[in-house]
Amino acid sequence: MLVLARRVLVLALLVVLHPSTAFSAGAKSTHEYDLKATFLFHFAEFVEWPAETLPDKAPFTIGIIGNDPFGKSLDEIVANEVVDGHKLLVRRFQSVSQIDSCQILFIAPSEASRLDQLLSHLNRRSVLTVGDTRDFALRSGIIGFVISEKRLRLAVNLAAANAAKLTISSKLLRQSEIVGPAPVRE
Amino acid sequence: MNQLRDSTSASLRQGRRRLLLRRAAHALVVAALALAYLPAAAETEQIAEPPKALKQLSLEELFDLEVTSVSQKPEQVSKTAAAVHVVTADDLRQMGAVSIPEALRYIPGVEVARVDARAYAITARGFNGTVANKLLVLMDGRSVYTPLYSGVFWDVQDAFMEDIEQIEVIRGPGATVWGANAVNGVINIISKSAASTQGFLVTGGAGNRERGFGGARYGGTLGPKAFFRVYAKDYDRGPSLFPNGDDAGDASRMRQGGFRADWAPTPADGITAQGDLYGSSIDRRNGDPTELSGGNALVHWTKSFSEHSNLQMQAYYDRTKRDVPSVFGETLDSYDLTLGHRFAPAARHDVVWGLGYRLTSDDVRNSAALAFLPPRLTHRLYTGFVQDELTLSANRLFLTVGSKVEHNDYTGFEYQPGVRLAWTPTPAQTIWGAASRAVRAPSRIDRDLFAPSQPPYFLVGDSTFDSEVLMAFELGYKGQPTSEVTTSISTFYNTYDKLRSLEAGSLPLLLANGLEGRTYGVEAEAACQVVRMWRLSAGYTFLRLILDVDPTSTDTSQEKQEGDSPRHQAFLRSSLKLPHALTLDASARYVGRIPNQNVPGNTICDARLAWQPTKSAEIAVVGQGLFDSRHPEFGMPSTRREIGRSIYGKLSCWF
Repeated sequence: MLVLARRVLVLALLVVLHPSTAFSAGAKSTHEYDLKATFLFHFAEFVEWPAETLPDKAPFTIGIIGNDPFGKSLDEIVANEVVDGHKLLVRRFQSVSQIDSCQILFIAPSEASRLDQLLSHLNRRSVLTVGDTRDFALRSGIIGFVISEKRLRLAVNLAAANAAKLTISSKLLRQSEIVGPAPVRE
Repeated sequence: MNQLRDSTSASLRQGRRRLLLRRAAHALVVAALALAYLPAAAETEQIAEPPKALKQLSLEELFDLEVTSVSQKPEQVSKTAAAVHVVTADDLRQMGAVSIPEALRYIPGVEVARVDARAYAITARGFNGTVANKLLVLMDGRSVYTPLYSGVFWDVQDAFMEDIEQIEVIRGPGATVWGANAVNGVINIISKSAASTQGFLVTGGAGNRERGFGGARYGGTLGPKAFFRVYAKDYDRGPSLFPNGDDAGDASRMRQGGFRADWAPTPADGITAQGDLYGSSIDRRNGDPTELSGGNALVHWTKSFSEHSNLQMQAYYDRTKRDVPSVFGETLDSYDLTLGHRFAPAARHDVVWGLGYRLTSDDVRNSAALAFLPPRLTHRLYTGFVQDELTLSANRLFLTVGSKVEHNDYTGFEYQPGVRLAWTPTPAQTIWGAASRAVRAPSRIDRDLFAPSQPPYFLVGDSTFDSEVLMAFELGYKGQPTSEVTTSISTFYNTYDKLRSLEAGSLPLLLANGLEGRTYGVEAEAACQVVRMWRLSAGYTFLRLILDVDPTSTDTSQEKQEGDSPRHQAFLRSSLKLPHALTLDASARYVGRIPNQNVPGNTICDARLAWQPTKSAEIAVVGQGLFDSRHPEFGMPSTRREIGRSIYGKLSCWF
């Protein structure tokens, strides 16, 4: 019993002592979802939607499907913002059938298991699909958030963007990794 | 004098009876041996930019910000009305699991006991043994259960571990959807998509027990929406040990290779084709090595019609061959076809139904010690199921009702209905309950076993052996009190009827459905992201198993079976990210005493230290069973093998 107690103690010490060195360092950093929310806002500026899908003065909708990971941050960022004469709106959806008008759709991690289905039913609608689940863009989402070496990176599936008739600004593409099949112009 | 004679003859009779029992037990063990081939026959406190301020930054500045990642954040609380535990790819890496059985060690409610270098006794919620028969195991939808004893030959169930996306373990009957044999649990081993395994991955390592292993994978594209991967692996695994520390002579070598291809010809269609080939050889002390080989090929097609409606079709072929020279041989071919359809016939309803057909063709090579008669047997299994998930109150109350109906060649039709209710009073909590009926259909060991293979028989299977029946009642809670902590508690009360008994009244000894029993237990687990770099998880399992002998039965095995599972099990795991790209994972598990086998309670500690010097390489050192040079996990003292401390190093490179 004593031997066991000692072993557990050694193990506990091993585990407890090490973090002290681990947690002292670290630069000023940003909460992941605050940063992602900021990017969602910028996508409204750096992506072009076909005019017929976004009539003048119509609101510009940023949708979230699944369990909202942003908390208040997305609402705070988007509050009172207008892009090209369109007032920005945040809406939350539980299923694709609820989505009537939506320009950007963030597919929350909670929907990972039905991602393929969700994407296939949005296909060819001019909705910029954004997500952060693994291989989001490779699996035909348009923009995937990827964290690499503590920085946020974008993976862009140009073929999927073309299919949705969206034009992504070169300013954004320059900083992104292009994934998926070569884009086919239709 | 007479009295003396009487008592002498009584003790003689008793002695003979004991001898018979011992021989019966021996014969069962021999059967088990031959089959399983046993050798004897937080967030950091740092100032973050307020979200509004981020808007003022340029794209370049945004891309340059360092982020606090929550990628290790616990998953959302599952709303499934079942006791589910998911072993993720991260868990697999952190455990340094070199095989599938080793990956199942830290799951509440699951018993994993390594019997020797290659054999495992694995079960959920009791009834463990080398030929445990109440668990259904599927690899990408392919059943790996053997109709020989309704169990799993764990020695041939392997995968390139890096290709596994997750292992989903459902404790309790999964019979409504999964069908016969999903009595005490279902294990689903799910591999990664070919799209997510692009590029090269090469791994290799060596150690004292894992004497050498290596694997390579390459993933590429076949067209705009088609991806593939191929892999090959092999290992040379050292032997288990006798209790005195001597080499038990059961070292093994295995080679396996395979592929997977995924193609999405249209956004609504997904087609997967995959297959594996393997060959392995396991040393025996008293004979030529056991040779195992086999392969499988599977095609899966999903067509989705809408968000709530899809059709799935799957076909596979599997061949597995086992040759224990001069003891036992078997070639099993399985052909399986399934169809599943999900649709929403009305608002609030989510219906899944399916049909299945499986043909198994078993060809056994018998020996003098025991025989399965007839040696060749072809069986057909027809299954159908329907299940409706009904939303009683949106996002709050869900009722799932369904039943499986199947027809097997032994017992005809079997019905396996189930009802489950999930209530989510708040988004972070689920309370669930379930009542279900499940059956274990007879297998060849129940019906066709003869020992020895020629009369006079000593032990004979029951040609009318009926299905074992389970009625299960479950109640559970899952909660996420804060975003860093997840908890779950599952409780169950199971009643079993017509369990297999060993009738010891006269010779030959007979198998029969002479036992009934009940089990109850509690499984609890909790995981906590203490701080960003440190994750802790813990689990506890309590199990009580009580068996009763039917009034007409002369069974004497009941007490032994009651004592084959530990009453208490517990574990603690810690995963820590250290500076300089180091990670340290440590775990300890306690497995209570196994009374019937005199296996003492054991605490076993594992640890893994890994260093990722560049984005494309990792070096890891893994130690398993760290604090003891060897320890026993399962088996009677006379035939027991112990598991030696294992230390190995592993290098992984991907590019």
